[in-house]
Order: sequence, then structure tokens, then C-alpha cells
Amino acid sequence: MAFDLTDILLSILKIAIILGIWLNVTPIMVWVERRGSALIQDRPGPNRVGPLGLLQSFADALKFIMKEDIIPAKAHKWLYTLAPTFGLLPAITTIAVVPWGRSFTIPEMHLFGRTLFEGGRWFNPIVADVSAGILVIFALASLGVYGITIAGWASANKYAMFGAIRASAQMISYELSLTLAAVSVLLVAGSLRLTEVVAQQTNYYFVLFDFIKLPAWNVLSPAMWLSFIVFTVSAFAETNRLPFDFAEAEAELVAGYHTEYSSMKFALFFMAEYMAMATMSALITTLYLGGWDIPWYNEPATFLGFLLSFAAFLVKMGFLLFVFVWVRWTIPRLKYDILMRLGWKVFLPMAFINIVIVAAFIAARWI
Amino acid sequence: MEYAIFFVFAAIAVVFALLVVLHRNPVVGALSLVASFFALAVMYVLLEAPFLAALQIIVYAGAIMVLFLFVIMLLNLQHMAEPATRPVQQFLSYTSSAAFAIGLIYYLLKYAVFEALPSGFFAADARTVGIRMFEAYVFPFEMVSILLLAAIVGALTLSGRMTGSREKVPAPEQPGVEAR
Amino acid sequence: MIPTHYFLILSAILFTIGVMGVLTRKNGITIFMCIELMVNAVNLTFLAYARQFHDVHGVIFVFFIMAIAAAEAAVGLAIFISLFHHRDTIDVDEANLMHW
Repeated sequence: MAFDLTDILLSILKIAIILGIWLNVTPIMVWVERRGSALIQDRPGPNRVGPLGLLQSFADALKFIMKEDIIPAKAHKWLYTLAPTFGLLPAITTIAVVPWGRSFTIPEMHLFGRTLFEGGRWFNPIVADVSAGILVIFALASLGVYGITIAGWASANKYAMFGAIRASAQMISYELSLTLAAVSVLLVAGSLRLTEVVAQQTNYYFVLFDFIKLPAWNVLSPAMWLSFIVFTVSAFAETNRLPFDFAEAEAELVAGYHTEYSSMKFALFFMAEYMAMATMSALITTLYLGGWDIPWYNEPATFLGFLLSFAAFLVKMGFLLFVFVWVRWTIPRLKYDILMRLGWKVFLPMAFINIVIVAAFIAARWI
Repeated sequence: MEYAIFFVFAAIAVVFALLVVLHRNPVVGALSLVASFFALAVMYVLLEAPFLAALQIIVYAGAIMVLFLFVIMLLNLQHMAEPATRPVQQFLSYTSSAAFAIGLIYYLLKYAVFEALPSGFFAADARTVGIRMFEAYVFPFEMVSILLLAAIVGALTLSGRMTGSREKVPAPEQPGVEAR
Repeated sequence: MIPTHYFLILSAILFTIGVMGVLTRKNGITIFMCIELMVNAVNLTFLAYARQFHDVHGVIFVFFIMAIAAAEAAVGLAIFISLFHHRDTIDVDEANLMHW
């Protein structure tokens, strides 16, 4: 197989951009979470370190690095150290199949006396456009259960073990409704690739008088409202965020599966949770909110169009991340048996019913 | 390039499979099997079946092995000391399986005739499999779903958790709210 | 393109490791994991031949094998759980009530 150098360099550039953004999500989200929750709870929040407390994340990172790293005596050393990386794996790798901008043609450039990108080169801002696109996300997200289970088991602590069993049971239950809710969207898009899901959402549902156009975002279609609700709530449950964070509830189980973790290992769990939140937000925008599409504007296939679409993607993702923080302080935590009952008896049937509704709409040619 | 990927992941698959067989702690064995399945999923991608690779990770590594791990952890099996196998049994099993492997590979390389791989795109994606599944293989498909239902009912019965088999204890009143 | 016999040899090696595990170990769960390893080796063989002959039937067969292996894992583990409840051990040599 012949690889040309430009392909490899562009892929490395795409990976660098995505990793750069995703690794920086955690410090930004820490600040947003603390100031946002302070705003909701009518208190100042961190405002000592830097203007508006913006450097608080650096102070936190410094604290994590300098803390003493304790491994409990009875813990299984290898698995105890390996567990946070298991948690990080889905958070970082699943973003590889999400398109984050409009694909465009890099124009021919003449630099340093050489002609680069002769004849223009098509740049598709997605790290890996595999044919089984969204299944890769579900596959890698289902590996996140191992991080929690091994963390709880390897800590040799019964509270950690309880928290781990509960959290992993919750995650595998809500994975089902997550997957089935996404199936409705895939039925409409007709493909597993996320690029085609977004491409289908760049059209318009109906055009009245030539200027009243409803963008074909999946959230605006009544056939998919149920699956939007199921997907969003399951995304909350998958990332172990309130109202579904019974497993790491500070008041009940000490700290759940990361009770015995300190310093950098705990920081890795922390990072994994925020990165999973960011990935889920990216996924919700791609499936339901139109991905990188700016409504009512036909982005040209140039670098400027790409930048605008990238900005739109980041704005939508940022809004959803704020919704994550907002819901945290609005809805009380669900008790564990109610949580499991919701997952199996309410959301799973809702996801199934939505698949039937979407199939009926497609058969009746309303979509 | 593909050969490099093949050899690296084949080595990973074999090493972790050996770890499953040889390590005494079943939790480490279960996790090594997950790693082995992951390497096998990469093999499936090399065989131009990315749909099945994703399915392998979703079903095997993400569901079946989680089930294994739950059973091992909840029954606290890692503390159970496994008695040593009798040396006669060990010797016989190692030698016979080694002989089996050598014979298999030798006869495979000697007698199998492989034509060149046909050119063109091999479509093993979700669309092709789905169309076949609902047209030609719809009967086995429905039978498998009934089989899965039977497996669920069987698993519930065997582990003794049928509803109504335990007497219901009334939940105590919960005073106060959960302070955050 | 990697020739098919590479995959077949890998599959043979994995299958043999599984057989070794089933014959040697006494922990029931470990034996069960080696059985899953054997099933996966067979899956690899099916897919290798599916690619060799560009036949989608191999892929569909693997699909069904995965579903059936999932059902088998669930029921098998339930059997082990009930064995554990009765005998307090998972050693398969202890499951000898029907021994002569």
C-alpha cells in the first residue's frame, strides 16, 4: 500500500488538533463547573487565583501533581495503576470518528519555492472516517465499564467495590438505551458514518415562500424527540453525572469507586469524566443538533467555511457542556433502584417505540 | 505496513491468551482475554470486516467479559486457592495440545491450496449483512432472538433470582434528605 | 494484502492455547474463558475464508456465532453461580455427584 507523505502529515495534524482540544477540555470545564455552579447557587465561586478565577485549573493541577501518591497495602498494584487509563481510553479514542467541521479544498499554495497541494487537496476534518462509524463509538464506550470495575475491585475497599458494581451496572444498562436511541437517527441518515448523518442534516425540511426554511436538524423533527430525550439522559447516565452519579455520591459511599485514589491517578479519573462529557456533547451535537452545520447558511468548501463550521460545532458543544453543569445543580440525585428502573423500564421501551415511529415515518415517506 | 500491524497484534493476542491459561488469578485472566479480543478485533479490520470488528468489541469485550468479571468479583473467586493440577495431567495436556498444533499447522501449510485473493471490494459492512439478514436469513435471525430470550430466562432461573421466591422486606422510612 | 494462511495459523495457535487451558485448569471460570477463546479462533477462521472467497456468508455465520456465544456465556455463568451456591467452590473436580 502506498502512503503519500501529505496524507500522513494531514492525519497527524488532525490528531494533534483534536487531542489538543480534548486534553484542554478538563481545565476549561473545571472552571466552567465551579463558576457556573457558583452562579446557580448565588455565591462567588473561585475568584482568588487570577482574574475571575481563571487560573484555578492550574492551581488544581499543581495540587494534584504534588500530592503524595498512596497505594493501599492490600490493593492489586498493577490493576490499581492501570484502572484510570482504562477510564481514559474511551474518552480519548471515541472522538476519532466525529466530524468537527466542513470538509474543504486546501488550495494550491506556493511556499518556499515549492508547490504544495497541487491541484487542491480535499481535507476531511475527521480523524478516521470508517464505514462502521458510530459502532466504533459504542464499542469503545462499552470498554469504559472496565475502568470503573477494576478501580473498585483493585482498591480492596468494600465501599469502592459497592460503588464500582453499582456504577458499572448503571453504565451497561444505559448503554442499551443510548445505542437504541442513536439507531433512530441512523435509520433516517441511512448510514453508520457520522459524516453522512451530518450531511443529511444540512438540508432543510421544508421551504416556504423561499425564505422560511426549517433546517433538517434531527432535534427539530417530531419523530425523533423521544430519542433525543433518551439519548441525552443516557449520556448523563453514561458519564456518571448527576442526576445519575449515585455511584460516586460523596455523601453516601465516601467517593464510590475512586475512594482510594489520590493525586495523579484521581486526576486521571477526573480528566476521563470531563473528556467523556465532552465526547458525549460532541456526539449529541452530531446526531441531533446538526453537527457543524450553521443553519440558513451554505458554508462554502473553503478554509473560511471550515473555520465557521468548526466554530459552530464548538459553540454547540459548549452549550451542551453548560447544560451538563446546569442539570447538575437543578435535578436531585436519583436513588439507585429508581435509576435502574428508569433505565430498563422507561428509557429502553421509549427507544424501541421511537425506532418504530421513525420506521413508520420513513415508510410513509414523511421523512 | 499491514504485515507490521498483523504481527504486532497477533503477538498481543497470543501473549494475552497464554496469560489467560497460565495466570492463577482469574481477574487478570479475564482482563487478558479482553486484551486478546481487542487484538482479534484488529485482525478482523485487517480482514476487511470493520463492522464485525466493532461488533466483536461491543459483544465480546464489552458485554460477555463484563459478565465474567462481575461473576468473578461478586463470588469473590480471586481468593480461592486453586489446587495444583496433577503433573501427569499437565504433561499429557501440554504435549497433546502441542502435537495437535504442530500437526494442524503442518498439514495446513502442506495441503491447503490458496488462490490469489480476488480483487475488488469486499462488502462486509452493515448494509450488506443487514440486507442478507432480513431477506435470506430471517428465520435464523428470529430463532436467535428466541434463543437469547430462553438464555435470559434460563440464567434467571438458575441463579435463583425469580421474583417472588424471596419474601419482601418492607423498606424502612427514609427520614431527612440527602445532603449534598 | 496479508495471505490467508497467516490468519489460519494464528487461529490454530489460539485454538490450541484454548484447548490447553481447558485440559489443564481446574477453575471453572477459567475453563469457560478458554472455551470463549476457542470460539473466537474459529470466528477468525470463518472471516479469513470469507475474505478469501469474497463470500458474505462467512460474515453472517460469525454474526450468529457471536450471538449464540453471548447466550451460552450467560447460561454457563448462571450454572457456575448455582454450582458455587451448592458446593462453595468452583473447582470442577468437585462437581462429581454423578461420578461412578
